[in-house]
Amino acid sequence: MSVLNDVLANAEAGFSRSLDRLFELLRIPSISTDPAYHEACQKAADWLVKELSDLGFKAEARPTAGRPMVVAHYAPKGATAKTPHALFYGHYDVQPVDPIDLWESKPFEPVVKKGKDGVERIFGRGTADDKGQLMTFVEAARAFIATAGELPVKATFLIEGEEESGSPSLIPFLKANAKELSCDIAFVCDSGMWDERTPAITSRLRGLVHEEVEVTGPSIDLHSGMYGGAAMNPIRALSKMIAALHDKTGKVMIPGFYTGVAPLPKATRKQWAGLKFSEKKFLSSVGLKSAAGENGFSVLEKIWSRPTAEVNGIWGGYTGAGNKTVIPSKAHAKLTFRLVGKQDPKKILAAFQKFAKAQMPKDAKITFSGKGGGSPASEISENNPYIVKSAAALKAEFGRGTVLVGSGGSIPIVRSFKDILGMDSVLVGFGLNDDAIHSPNEKYNLPSFQRGIKSWVRIIAALAEK
Amino acid sequence: MQDQSHATLVDPVLQRIDASLKTSCETLFELMRFPGVGADPAHHGDCRATAAWIKNYLSQMGFAVELRETTGQPLVVARMPGPGAQVLFYGHYDVQPADPLDLWDTPPFEPRMGKNARGQDCIYGRGAADDKGQFMTFVEATRHWLAQHGSLPFGLTIMIEGDEEGDASHLDGFLAKNAKEFPCDFAVICDTDMYDETTPAITTSLRGCISEEITIQGPRIDLHSGYFGGPAVNPIKVLAKLLASLHDKNGKVGIPGFYEGVKTLTPSQKKQLKGLRFPEREFLADVGLKHAAGETGHGVLEQLWSRPTAEVNGIWGGYTATGAKTVLPARAHAKLTFRLVEGQKPNKVRAAFRKHVKALLPKGCKISFISEGGDSTGIRIAEDSSWFKAAARALKAEWGKSPALIGSGGSIPVVEFMRKHLKVETLLIGFGRKDDRVHSPNEKYDLESYHRGQRSFARLIAEFSKGV
Repeated sequence: MSVLNDVLANAEAGFSRSLDRLFELLRIPSISTDPAYHEACQKAADWLVKELSDLGFKAEARPTAGRPMVVAHYAPKGATAKTPHALFYGHYDVQPVDPIDLWESKPFEPVVKKGKDGVERIFGRGTADDKGQLMTFVEAARAFIATAGELPVKATFLIEGEEESGSPSLIPFLKANAKELSCDIAFVCDSGMWDERTPAITSRLRGLVHEEVEVTGPSIDLHSGMYGGAAMNPIRALSKMIAALHDKTGKVMIPGFYTGVAPLPKATRKQWAGLKFSEKKFLSSVGLKSAAGENGFSVLEKIWSRPTAEVNGIWGGYTGAGNKTVIPSKAHAKLTFRLVGKQDPKKILAAFQKFAKAQMPKDAKITFSGKGGGSPASEISENNPYIVKSAAALKAEFGRGTVLVGSGGSIPIVRSFKDILGMDSVLVGFGLNDDAIHSPNEKYNLPSFQRGIKSWVRIIAALAEK
Repeated sequence: MQDQSHATLVDPVLQRIDASLKTSCETLFELMRFPGVGADPAHHGDCRATAAWIKNYLSQMGFAVELRETTGQPLVVARMPGPGAQVLFYGHYDVQPADPLDLWDTPPFEPRMGKNARGQDCIYGRGAADDKGQFMTFVEATRHWLAQHGSLPFGLTIMIEGDEEGDASHLDGFLAKNAKEFPCDFAVICDTDMYDETTPAITTSLRGCISEEITIQGPRIDLHSGYFGGPAVNPIKVLAKLLASLHDKNGKVGIPGFYEGVKTLTPSQKKQLKGLRFPEREFLADVGLKHAAGETGHGVLEQLWSRPTAEVNGIWGGYTATGAKTVLPARAHAKLTFRLVEGQKPNKVRAAFRKHVKALLPKGCKISFISEGGDSTGIRIAEDSSWFKAAARALKAEWGKSPALIGSGGSIPVVEFMRKHLKVETLLIGFGRKDDRVHSPNEKYDLESYHRGQRSFARLIAEFSKGV
């Protein structure tokens, strides 16, 4: 117990330097979806390799078909096959920053600002998703090694650079290195707390599949006066198709879409209802008043247990200043489907494509350029011993019981760890609902960063206990 | 006797036009090199430079020319006094934006001669047909007439504006304020098409146009589509529903009150349309289409000339760059235009549209509207005036065929301004072809149009000299 207290004290004493190191990483604009930032992704990977090597890890930035994968291994002296071996996963890539004009400080120049509530927050792209989070376990490992001389368990760090762009290289990489990467358990730090004071472990994740469509009408852009009325307008065709995706009650109308979606067990429904989640507050924090989506489900049920069809982007025709009286030749949209239960991404895409084709009027041609792939939803048993240990460690740090929640976001890695490496994942994270991840002014509360580090110290110590 | 003197007047002018076609093309190329995109503030300097070039050109012909300031781009006003009728000629020097640039075979503002699919010489570049090439047919005819005869048989004012493709309210305001300076008997505009390759046309009906830009606001900020997808309203989906609601299954516009004032064609008007034997299939096939998409029960010409429309010209919202971004956007936008026919009131249509979409808006969403201005009403022009008949004779003499009396689906708001402010009707004669790709990449104007357009106007001047 005294070793743990020493490590915790040391972690606290080093908070300021921990933050300096996080800032270094945050300054690297590692946007994986945009080829212009691929060099920055390499730089972020190299930076992590150096940090981990300095801690005594055997670390490398391993090349893939896309962005490099940071892999680092650590074994304490005298480790045996029986010494617990945990994998820690995070991602160093970040979302694009547009619309840039809505940022109050520059996205890649992190700053700490104190709010009116006295809480200090770190602002910048990647603070919460996921650089701030992944650095909590890097800094915990540092505190352990600095205090006790070594970690009490075997550890493997896997930090990828394509999480925000669909992780195309991840599955091939896991398959090619399955033996090297298989551990007893994986810890993923990319999720949130229940609220500022209550720790959470995420045991349900929605899956995700992307699609992009292009609707072509006339072979060239047309004058809307000379042809308007007689010529098919692809923006209208696209709009009709999107409008047909949902009925009045918010239900998705693609035939077969709900295959594999089971109703929520009564007990789970009751547990979630007991969380006293304020729907009003949740919606008003982003400027909304009433819940959209399927009628008959609570907001938590909609986010954690119901699938969606969403349009993430749309464009076509003239979008500059002034007006242009044109009937465009083409219109485009990007869509994502959030998946639950046993929904199969491939089948969902096929069903959508069939549905979209059937919605097209005469003369409209629709093509699909989504990269396929995607990931189904994941659910982890709440009795998993690592979940039980982690929940106890978090309770010790925060002084409140850990809640087991769902997450509307996808972390495809959880599925891949199970399918390819046969390994369960424990999702522990310190993000908050108002972190504005994927949006301008992304932030991570300084207490999340600090107590996150201490939480990992406690979890690592718990893992070493028999 | 009269025919002889008519020939004496016009033949030498026609010879001059034929002899100097090459020079005349070079002149047009000079004019086309100005990238005067009126709708784009970045090109306003270019608009002013275009106007200055025209001023200089008309001054050299003997006109008294001024660049008049408006609330938009400068207006070129050139006057030459003369006996008898007072004629106002109108054209526009501004052009449409050139995007998408990558679809142009050669740069849009580097005009060149080329061959079209049928092997005929054409002038390629932005503004070749709309409207630089067209208005220059009249300018060149006038230049050659003046070179031959020293004066015109009527008083002429040439007005070339720079806001036709953008906000028509600038000219509207100018004419409202300065109507007294422009007394005239009728106006002539060269910004329309021939009926087909061999048949000239006078346009007698025009659709009006209003434009609207709408923005749907959902959440205050862009959201993660995983953490909020389901309970958070998606403004793109809302926008799609609104746009989808604009038409019913039969292509009819579903906005209550939209068709108020729209007259159905009389049996004789329908018969005249039929007589044109319009090749619907070819018209659509030229632009890669097979089926007429508008209101069922109306032929293509009827859909284009005498039926109103609701169209979406542009749409945008959320992430549109390379790759995927799992975002629920805060806002989505669309630009729309409504083509109006005689009898519809622009303000009423706009109000009906706004009411319709507001009624469909789900809770928690806000909608805002931007109107770019430049409203115009649909117009039909009478065919029984002496100058209309004189124009028909001139066109028949040049092309060997009576002109077809046609409609145009496009708006020329200035025709309405002529009516409203100067109290005159307009003669719409143009030499554009269906395949000119106005507003599209690779815009062109047939050399024959440029050449015989000049000849047609020379004959028109001669016809007017008989008195109209």
